[in-house]
Amino acid sequence: MSKRVIGFVLMIGTVAFVAAPSLAADDAATRKDLTAVIALQGLPCGEVISVKTQGDNDHIATCKNGNRYHVFLNSTGRVVVEKQ
Amino acid sequence: MIRSARIGAVVLVIVLAGCGGVKTAPPGTSPPTATQAESAKAAPAPSSVTPASPPSPSPPSPPPPIVAAQPPTVAAQPPTVAAQPPAAAIEPTAPSGPAPAAKPAARAEAPATKALAKAPAAAAPSAQPSKKDIAQEPEKPKAEPPLDLASLETRLKETKAIGLMTKISLKNQVDDLLNQFRAFYAGKLQTTLAELRRPYDLLVLKVLSLLQDSDPTLAAAIVASREALWGILSDRAKFANFASN
Repeated sequence: MSKRVIGFVLMIGTVAFVAAPSLAADDAATRKDLTAVIALQGLPCGEVISVKTQGDNDHIATCKNGNRYHVFLNSTGRVVVEKQ
Repeated sequence: MIRSARIGAVVLVIVLAGCGGVKTAPPGTSPPTATQAESAKAAPAPSSVTPASPPSPSPPSPPPPIVAAQPPTVAAQPPTVAAQPPAAAIEPTAPSGPAPAAKPAARAEAPATKALAKAPAAAAPSAQPSKKDIAQEPEKPKAEPPLDLASLETRLKETKAIGLMTKISLKNQVDDLLNQFRAFYAGKLQTTLAELRRPYDLLVLKVLSLLQDSDPTLAAAIVASREALWGILSDRAKFANFASN
């Protein structure tokens, strides 16, 4: 029983260890994407350092300079960047 | 014991596979810098071997613009004197547009030529592309034929250098610009073509800044087709034809 539990824990840990880099890569791509979007709108940001995804094409981006932006795709198909 | 050993082996294999995946992920802008570093390292060697380069003065004009950056080196000077006039002769012909647009065009061409200059730099060790890539500006963009709009659109859609949200945002801005041209030709917008050239140049620069690091070939293609695109936008008949499609 204890061996099974140990094996299960090891497997979970391994999966987490392997999955973390891919998630981090996705996160980096999103941050880069949002950095470009905010820059395209001419808004001050510098670089997006963290992203909170609220839904499909709906993110809260926190910039290096402390600004936070709500970046989302509205119903008319336009990318909107709102400062918060 | 055997079970635990098997589990351990499986875990080890998965961890190793994961580590292999992590190493391949990060490449982005780093490869170019690495090559630049290599070329920078390679550059001093040829300069020390400059006695061997005197045979190189005989080759034709393409290498000399690069060597134009080497006034201090003695052996390379003869070709530079021969090379500078062609570069100067080509430059005036390049900017065909109005004066205000000339500077952005020159800026946009720089990244593209940087990318194009990497291959010759790697091939010819005698070149020193680190600082004076600007000397090659006039020649490289002319070599690439202009794009047609369908190809340009397809390549922009398929490039991985730009994220999805960025692509949508760019499309929004392109649509806004096209609406401005529609309003201008309809007489609803009181402006001039020269004033519309400014947002066009700005938009092209935005696209180039997004592409130049990750997709330099597409950036170079856009630079090459820049005037052709403006030719469509600035001509009422061509624009009407384009807008109808």
